Amino acid sequence: MIMKKKFAALGISAILAAVTLAGCGSNGNEASNSPSASAPAASPSASAPASESASPDTTVKLTGDFEIQYFVGGYGDKWWKKVIADFQAANPDLNVKESGGPKINDQMKPRWIGGNPPDFVYIDGAGLNDRQMVEDGQLEDLTEWLKDAKNVDGDLITDILAQPAQQFDGKVYNIPLVLNSWGVFWNKALFKEKGWTEPTDFQSFLDVSDKIKAAGTTPFIHTGKYPYYINGSILYPAIVSANNNDFTILQDMAANKVEAYESPAVLAALNKIVALRDKGFIDKASIQINHTDSQMLFLQNKDAFIPNGLWLPNEMAKDIPEGFDFGFIPSVTQDAGGKVVANTSTSTVAIAKNGKNKDAAKAFLQFIFSKAQASQWAELSGAPSNIKGDISSSNAPNFVKDAAKYLTDPNTIVIPTITYNADVDKAMMDATDALTISKITPEEWVKRVTDVVKKVSK
Amino acid sequence: MNSGTAKWQRNVFIASFIIPTLLFFGVFTIYPVMQGLYYSFFDWSGMSNQKTFIGLDNFKELYHDPIIWRAIGNDYFLVAGKVIGIMVIATFFAVALTRFGFKMAGFFRSIFFIPNVISVVVIGVLWNFIYNPQIGFLNAFLSLFTKEQVTITWLGFTSHTIWMLLPPAIWAGIGFYMILLIAAIQSVPDSYYEAASLEGASQWRQFRDITIPLVWEQIKVSVLNIMMTTLNGSFVIVWIMTEGGPDNSTQVMGSYLYQMAFRQYHFGYGASIGFIILVLSLITTVILQRLMRQETVEMS
Repeated sequence: MIMKKKFAALGISAILAAVTLAGCGSNGNEASNSPSASAPAASPSASAPASESASPDTTVKLTGDFEIQYFVGGYGDKWWKKVIADFQAANPDLNVKESGGPKINDQMKPRWIGGNPPDFVYIDGAGLNDRQMVEDGQLEDLTEWLKDAKNVDGDLITDILAQPAQQFDGKVYNIPLVLNSWGVFWNKALFKEKGWTEPTDFQSFLDVSDKIKAAGTTPFIHTGKYPYYINGSILYPAIVSANNNDFTILQDMAANKVEAYESPAVLAALNKIVALRDKGFIDKASIQINHTDSQMLFLQNKDAFIPNGLWLPNEMAKDIPEGFDFGFIPSVTQDAGGKVVANTSTSTVAIAKNGKNKDAAKAFLQFIFSKAQASQWAELSGAPSNIKGDISSSNAPNFVKDAAKYLTDPNTIVIPTITYNADVDKAMMDATDALTISKITPEEWVKRVTDVVKKVSK
Repeated sequence: MNSGTAKWQRNVFIASFIIPTLLFFGVFTIYPVMQGLYYSFFDWSGMSNQKTFIGLDNFKELYHDPIIWRAIGNDYFLVAGKVIGIMVIATFFAVALTRFGFKMAGFFRSIFFIPNVISVVVIGVLWNFIYNPQIGFLNAFLSLFTKEQVTITWLGFTSHTIWMLLPPAIWAGIGFYMILLIAAIQSVPDSYYEAASLEGASQWRQFRDITIPLVWEQIKVSVLNIMMTTLNGSFVIVWIMTEGGPDNSTQVMGSYLYQMAFRQYHFGYGASIGFIILVLSLITTVILQRLMRQETVEMS
């Protein structure tokens, strides 16, 4: 019996290692898929935190073990450390374990496969995809619970969310924690110096790009190695603008409805990218470079516009030249006088279906989705949180406050978090790349993507 | 009786070498390969705790997948390009550094070997900078000869971008095979060349009729090794430089495996690609060995 178990465990680790090894050669393998080698750094969190900011009025006393998995990336882990310590202090009888780190998604994978996942998971970083986790039956259905779940302050959680949770077949499995936005950046200082007008809609964007090009600067650069930047900042907002500001078309696309992809709005949006391409606005270097290279060229004023996310100033903080002043607009593809469309980029939290302490996990959700955490998240992670709350008086960075303003403006169409099927997403990225280098036409883009959609929805 | 004990001792001695090796080989090679084959029969995301048995469906799908065919094509293109490129240049350098006996031979030997000490990841990043259209060395160099700034996107052609991965791959491989051939050439007795010179054989003739036949074994090993490391390991350079893009034009089997298994959550499909890599490597090895079979020439 024991032998059998051992072999099963060995089998899982061996196959994961073997398949990568078979395909990848021996060194420099970025896969880092070696669950057998390193156990996750699970450690009981500090049991006696100094500060106790909230005192939840939980009627049931939480006991036992409670494990939280969180990926550490661009937003850091300061907020997680703080909020977990606070939660531990509020629930002294609960043994809170935190499993966090930049490689945590790979390290925890064998446990998800083995049916022994952590109780609570923050879905961010490579290797975790909410849609896939839902399809795999790994996440707890929160639809009913969320309907009348109140946070520790007694507010209804759904009321304080800036953006609602994504629905998968009408059900809710994960709640957005971070609220970031895609968009287009420029250097205000440069525009002022050269007398260029900041764009407000597609026509003004084209007009100023003409001027920029005439002045010898390339108007637009993106990262062709990761085409989701241009899809997220240009294509999807353009589709929504062309669809009379109705973003449900993107949700239909994510639900693999072929008609949505065949809509004229999609073609109209693709033709806007073609316009940029044919006018020679897109930097030819784009197709082969990664995000860092494109961002460097942008910071050196070699290119005037870059599609990116609001994390850009934070990400490049060390390389921003003196006098560089970020200008930002969530979308440039709307008609004159049309509403700005902000395509949000979120990271979500969820409860594992096979988790052992779901009560604690739900209590933790009630704990973190409270107003106090809105400014705490903004301060400690440098990104806007998905919790409604006034952060203007907090110590959050200025661009975070600006972004929050944009995302709560009634004149902005905010696209809620949408995750596409991974195959369809890849097909859209490849097709957009091919479109920008004149390899295919917009009609071929649609054909290619719908072929994949038909295949995955079978 | 005595001989029986001796025989038994001999067997124990041999077994003490073979059994641990066999055990390790079994656990770390055979077992994973069998598991890989096993998983290729399932529809599994790689994250779920359930998987569905689908028989040969993954392989059927592979057959109809245009990207895997392109990946196989790219892999064999790299094999052919690297075998020709590396072997021609490495043999040339090896002969130049041994047969012509010029002063700086040792220095050049070290220089040519340097790329082998650098990690492939670093090589990929380095060549990314060389190929960079805006700040890259290659365009800057070409711009010296033209009036206008050259802005070729070396890694962004609509097709045939795979050609651009050949120079770094060849550059990275030369040193090792050069050393291998130098060792082989140095073991050829000088008297052969002296005799040939006396008979009036030209350098070319000496190279063709003495050097090549006598180092054929090393050439054969080198070719096989280049082929195997390329089919199994071209993943690294592709992933660092292009991630298979743009538009899958530089995809190789290894990178497509990674893409499918870990980016698009088709682990079973990825496992079946892994199995294809194994089978193709085996077949290619057998064919190449057949093709390169030659009477062994003995040095005495």
